[in-house]
Amino acid sequence: MSAPRPPREALEIVEELDTRGRIRETLERGVGTTRAQLLLSALAGAATTTAVIAPAAAAAALSANDTRILRFDLQLEYLQAGLYTEALKIGHLSRPARAAARVVGAHEWAHARAIKHILGPDAVRMGFFDYHGVTEDERAFLRTAVAFEDLTAALLKYQAMRLDSRDVLAAAISLHSVEARHAAWLRRVAGVLPTLTAFDEPRSQSRMRKLVVSTDFLTPDPRTGATRAPGFTG
Amino acid sequence: MTVGRGSIRRGALIAAVIIAAAALVVEMAPHSAASDRPRLRPPAADTGTWGAGKLPAPVSPAFDVPSPRPLRASAYDVRWAPVRRPAVARAKPALAAAAVTRLSERTPEGTSNLVLVLGAQHGPAGGLWVHVLLPILPPNTSGWVERSALGGYRFVNTRLVVDARTLRATLFRDRRVVFRAPVGVGTPATPTPRGSFYIRDRLTRYASPFYGPIAFGTSARSAFVTDWPDGGFVGIHGTDQPGRIPGHVSHGCIRMRNHDIVKLASLMPVGTPVLIR
Repeated sequence: MSAPRPPREALEIVEELDTRGRIRETLERGVGTTRAQLLLSALAGAATTTAVIAPAAAAAALSANDTRILRFDLQLEYLQAGLYTEALKIGHLSRPARAAARVVGAHEWAHARAIKHILGPDAVRMGFFDYHGVTEDERAFLRTAVAFEDLTAALLKYQAMRLDSRDVLAAAISLHSVEARHAAWLRRVAGVLPTLTAFDEPRSQSRMRKLVVSTDFLTPDPRTGATRAPGFTG
Repeated sequence: MTVGRGSIRRGALIAAVIIAAAALVVEMAPHSAASDRPRLRPPAADTGTWGAGKLPAPVSPAFDVPSPRPLRASAYDVRWAPVRRPAVARAKPALAAAAVTRLSERTPEGTSNLVLVLGAQHGPAGGLWVHVLLPILPPNTSGWVERSALGGYRFVNTRLVVDARTLRATLFRDRRVVFRAPVGVGTPATPTPRGSFYIRDRLTRYASPFYGPIAFGTSARSAFVTDWPDGGFVGIHGTDQPGRIPGHVSHGCIRMRNHDIVKLASLMPVGTPVLIR
């Protein structure tokens, strides 16, 4: 597959998402088929991948373009997984919403683990999220979840045409259909039609960036440690 | 107008040449174009609407992985949040309710000021309020803070129980005991406060052997050492006098032997609830 135009905006978006500036400069690498195979199988439902991956495969590499795209996706998976997990733990969800959050949240974590493993040292660290009360109100939670699932499916469609590796493309397609099912499930729980159109349009990363930025969900880590001498009573 | 016999013969000849040329083009066309044109149909043997054709071999997965198990909330999950902006904690979830205390963004140690979350509900004006455990005297004081004053939640499933009578600390993860150690607590004149508290921060790499290698700040405050420079907060820390542990030896802090506090630090995250009884 010939290299399409590099999604330059993806790098900017990932840097914007990574407020702590932990993203390192992406290394220019070739596409490794074995590694892409790992991604393909991992995205099909990985839960614990580290223990079963061959060292040689883990050492293979992605192109800089695909790395940028996957980094963006990884942070989005974290954002979604965190949303479901928090809503579930707070416990304000009705039974159907809770059932969806349990399964969809587990899928998002599995996606995140798989992408993180494939990225290796290039993986973005999970950010600190503040959902601003969305997880404490079922209607707000469902609206947010539907918006993220709809847009993630549309984003993957956009990215699929820009990936260098056919193997990564195959993995992205397997991810895409799952996200579309998530969207349909959550739409049903939210009481809206699962689908309205015969054909879906892709949505660009810049639109996804705007959505994420508008939510203000990504916040700096709280500072919980220090090196000054204690002033406790002793 | 008359047409000569010679003209008719010339016209017939030209027509014959054109027909012959056309026939030659038609004959040669399939051979010249077919090699460059993509083959749109499978070979005759595979033709048919549902024929499998010859597709590339699929990629074989390098390993099998199990499907993820659905997420589960634990009954032992507790959440905390940093104070994002200075806020007033109130007795009820309403702006008109009495103020209990003011919360700043920072602790005396310069870390983010955390509160342990007990619940949440909407106030009369519709805004979301969060019920939090407060780092003030007397112990177990709680109040309501606007959700917008707090940052994102973090969850822990650990809890530390300090028994000031048996002089032992026990750390639980969910319902399992993962750590036990003897402790030193306050003297009869400066007792360790009893009640429900939480870990606010962790201090390391300081140069003070008195506190050992690691010190945890808690939300507990001593009612007997109120003039202490940093507000009389109680810590959980190491010691340079391990021979006095277990015992009633401190000004209210919980002391541990250094190897115990190092072990505890590897198991206990910030935000962990602390019960001192």
